[in-house]
Amino acid sequence: MASNTPRESTKIRLYLLAACLLLWCGGICLRLVYLQIFRYGSFEQRAQRQQQRTVDVSARRGIIYDRAGRELAMSVSVDSAFAVPTEIPDLAGTVSLISRITKSDPHELLARCKAAKTFCWVARKADAETAERIRSMNLRGIYFEKESKRFYPKRELAAQVIGYVGTDDEGLSGIEREYDDQMRGKPGEMLISVDARRKWFGSVEKQPVPGENVVLTIDQQIQYIAERELQAALERTHAESGTVIVENPRTGEILALANRPTFNPNLTREITPEKLKNHAVSDVYEPGSTFKLVTISAALDEKLTTPQEVFDCQMGSIVINGMRIHDSKPHGLLPVSDILAESSDVGSIKIGMRLGDDRFYKYIRAFGFGQQTGIELPGETRGLTKPPNRWSRVSFAAISMGQEIGITPLQLAGLVSTMANDGLWAAPRIVAATTEPQSTPQMIAFHPAEQRRVISALTAAQMRQMMQGVVLHGTGKKALLEGYSSAGKTGTAQKVDPATHAYSHTKYVASFAGFAPINNPVITVAVILDSAVGLHQGGQVSAPVFQRVAQQVLEYLHTPHDVELPLSRQLLLASHRVKEQDVAEGSPDHLGDTLDVAEAAGANPAPGPIQNAAGPSSASAGTAVVPAALRKHDAIPEETPKPPLAANLPSGTATPEHLPASGTVVLDIEQGGIVVPSFTGKGVRAAIEVAQENGLDLDAVGSGLAQWQSPPAGTRVLSGSKVTVKFGR
Amino acid sequence: MSRYISFRDFDWVLFIFVLLLCVLGMMEIRSATAHTKFAGAHIKQLYWIVAGIGCMFMMSLLNYQVLLERVHWMYIAAIASLMVVMIFGQKYLGARRWVKMPGGWHFQPSEWVKLILILAVAKYFADLQQRELSWSDFVKAGAIVGVPMLMVLAQPDLGTALTYIPIALMGLFLGGLRTRQALAVVLLAGLMMPLAWHGLKPYQRERLTSFLEPEADRQGSGYQVIQSLIAVGSGGIWGSSAGSQTHLSFLPVPQTDFIFAAFAEEHGFVGALSVMLLYFIVLMRLTQNAQTAPDRAGTFVVMGVVAVLSFHILVNIGMVVGFMPVTGIPLPLMSYGGSSVLFMFLALGIVMNVRMRRFVN
Repeated sequence: MASNTPRESTKIRLYLLAACLLLWCGGICLRLVYLQIFRYGSFEQRAQRQQQRTVDVSARRGIIYDRAGRELAMSVSVDSAFAVPTEIPDLAGTVSLISRITKSDPHELLARCKAAKTFCWVARKADAETAERIRSMNLRGIYFEKESKRFYPKRELAAQVIGYVGTDDEGLSGIEREYDDQMRGKPGEMLISVDARRKWFGSVEKQPVPGENVVLTIDQQIQYIAERELQAALERTHAESGTVIVENPRTGEILALANRPTFNPNLTREITPEKLKNHAVSDVYEPGSTFKLVTISAALDEKLTTPQEVFDCQMGSIVINGMRIHDSKPHGLLPVSDILAESSDVGSIKIGMRLGDDRFYKYIRAFGFGQQTGIELPGETRGLTKPPNRWSRVSFAAISMGQEIGITPLQLAGLVSTMANDGLWAAPRIVAATTEPQSTPQMIAFHPAEQRRVISALTAAQMRQMMQGVVLHGTGKKALLEGYSSAGKTGTAQKVDPATHAYSHTKYVASFAGFAPINNPVITVAVILDSAVGLHQGGQVSAPVFQRVAQQVLEYLHTPHDVELPLSRQLLLASHRVKEQDVAEGSPDHLGDTLDVAEAAGANPAPGPIQNAAGPSSASAGTAVVPAALRKHDAIPEETPKPPLAANLPSGTATPEHLPASGTVVLDIEQGGIVVPSFTGKGVRAAIEVAQENGLDLDAVGSGLAQWQSPPAGTRVLSGSKVTVKFGR
Repeated sequence: MSRYISFRDFDWVLFIFVLLLCVLGMMEIRSATAHTKFAGAHIKQLYWIVAGIGCMFMMSLLNYQVLLERVHWMYIAAIASLMVVMIFGQKYLGARRWVKMPGGWHFQPSEWVKLILILAVAKYFADLQQRELSWSDFVKAGAIVGVPMLMVLAQPDLGTALTYIPIALMGLFLGGLRTRQALAVVLLAGLMMPLAWHGLKPYQRERLTSFLEPEADRQGSGYQVIQSLIAVGSGGIWGSSAGSQTHLSFLPVPQTDFIFAAFAEEHGFVGALSVMLLYFIVLMRLTQNAQTAPDRAGTFVVMGVVAVLSFHILVNIGMVVGFMPVTGIPLPLMSYGGSSVLFMFLALGIVMNVRMRRFVN
């Protein structure tokens, strides 16, 4: 350096400076590499954490349809209010105002809001009135978001089958629970961006994906019939609980599944475990005499006896391995057919004795006892069957007459259906299909599961004949139908007292399971009533329920009569048919008469128009049908519910209680179409939403607020029709 | 003499790179201030840039040698203007930095004092023809810069006051600073440090140290550093289109001091690196101009500009990436602000002035 001239020294120093500069730049570049490449993930997360809150927006839950495409459970769009506490000047005041409207606990709400800072629900899924009151207060920092809320337009109808959902739309019982994953859909996300001053910017970032729809094999009308008759039976017999199953024996489709006691799924607060119980699948009871069907059919199938073979019933007493068993009624010599008809325990035991334990057990399993039927319902039990190696020496005798074994009502229906279905056991099914959320209603082919041969067709035919004997001259005379042949078996089982583990002398399970008509069975009906007071025999209390249900269902399904009707009834039906046409033509003054007649006839076949509309859906073939034409009729604006207090339910919505006045349903379906709502005063966006909710196609002209529309509000149009709305300022 | 001056000798390459940085700065200002009360700031910035370019051309026409002849008058004027600020200045956010001018203008003299200091220091060292500095030269040079610096420090404006230091250092360094003198500078700085530290207010101390451990007080002194780091980090390699740190105003003053953080968030590592490269090219080009200067004074002038510019860049970017304390030093050419833009273009004007006269002697 010393030898350099000043000029050169300056130059060297310049280079030195440049080098320092470069070094510093390099340092910063390395730092950038570290920050932006290696630590990118963590900084990205930190940025999102402080900038965004994610709130799930519930997806629209799938609809549950009956087999004819009528909504049994649907989701409606309701308002949920939420607070952004940091924007609220007087949080305590605002919270107390809201809690007064929603009738919630202000302290709890305040605590929640304070903890949340940027987002806090204050009124979820509020009904229209509450939402409106909150909105009208125009509070700062309170916003609304559309959420979907479950609504059950038919209230108690098939409540245990359909189930209900919790606040977050999670299925808690029934189909709602079993098909929760499919129906739930994928929730969307509302991303809330928060700036440094905690100001709030909201936007729905991810649209929710609606859930799949579920089409049940249940027929709403048949379900009404079953529910009503079960209710009436409970009132008559004071039974604690009961269940009625209507099944198509050919396919295993469940057409109706009614339970009592029951609940209104719209009022979740009033639901108790007893009401929730789906007795048809979750009750295990000793079948009693109905189980003799197994004993006798097995013996017939093994060619160990014939219907005509005569057994000595020893005047109602037999000793089996040192144990004396008494019949309820003494019988002498009886052919097998009469053993079934008169339900002789001694006779059954003697037949069972011929079978032997192993063979008997094989048939018990083949009929589906001791295993789940696989029906698409939660909480199904297997029942209680012991393998023969655990049988005592008297077990076969007890089982022969339906004791020492536990079955479910659904298994009983399956047993009777096997007889009706030429010896083939069909797994009961209650879900016809799941369909895509946005799909247009369509024909759904119902594919019955593979059927299993349990007994030969010959045995089944013999059994059918003998079971008809039960109705014609045996214990089930009250199951005699008008105009149809029927067959069945009664059962009366003593309940086991849970305290003493001995048979109760006061509590009985009365059952009747049968089918009709006998040569070409269309329906199987199983009726189980638990702990009837007073009369308690299956033939006395359950057979009449079978009779009333089967009679109405067969007529509803237009099953041709196979037995001549009594003259008086023919006349009634004839006059009924005339009135029906009047109703169909829309003259409402006859409506009342029609219903009167129908009720006077002791059977209320669903009035004509429903049949017309629902005709293709009748249970004849193995298809659950949702005809497109019917769907249009079904999209009735009145059914778009004002959620969700039961008290506010539109009276037009048919409920089981209203069923005798099911004329209202008829009219709704008959008129069909969609009532064009009024768009006046709505913004373009709101108008489009309203149109979409109603299934209309909106043609928006101009901008601003709606001022004119065509067709005018109140006009009935077909679903998907175009409505022109002019907007202006 | 002046008839040999031609714009053919004007450094167009430098000018284009400078303009490129200005445009990037404007785009970022626009993005960062959209939807805020500063919306439209980029247009104002454009006016300042246009005015700055005008000033630059005018400046390049004045002979810097003539300017240097009169630099003592200018120095006196600079000191006087700082006095005026001390007496009549507008108090804003606890500091007296601005003079209110007729017509609603605010004038911050400490910016152009910088320019005069560059010239003054250049003149002083250019006049010393001996290769090695004497101790008296050393003290005098220190005083030339020290007096206005103390006045600015009293405003108080620590950030601007610090920018005067590199002018002095550059002068001393190029002027032939001896090793012993260099040690003295370091020693002096070492001695001054605790003294200055003692004189600082607690909030200032916090600001100076918080960058070392920003997490210690996330919501307080560490807030700006953390937000800046999050902004830079969340940019990733290609940048985040949302640029949410900037747009949701988590990033403090994204259009001025933290414009590099905003840019790095929106354009990622690639963008940040490009900007660094542009600055590096500009600085190298300036250094080259310093080497080709017609005389020693010219070299000193240009290097003074380099010193101020690189100090700004390095301290600002260092602050954004968490290397340096938050001192309120803007990023030259990109940050929003009239004074800063005008200073930069005037400084560039002087550089052009030197360059255009490189063949004159």
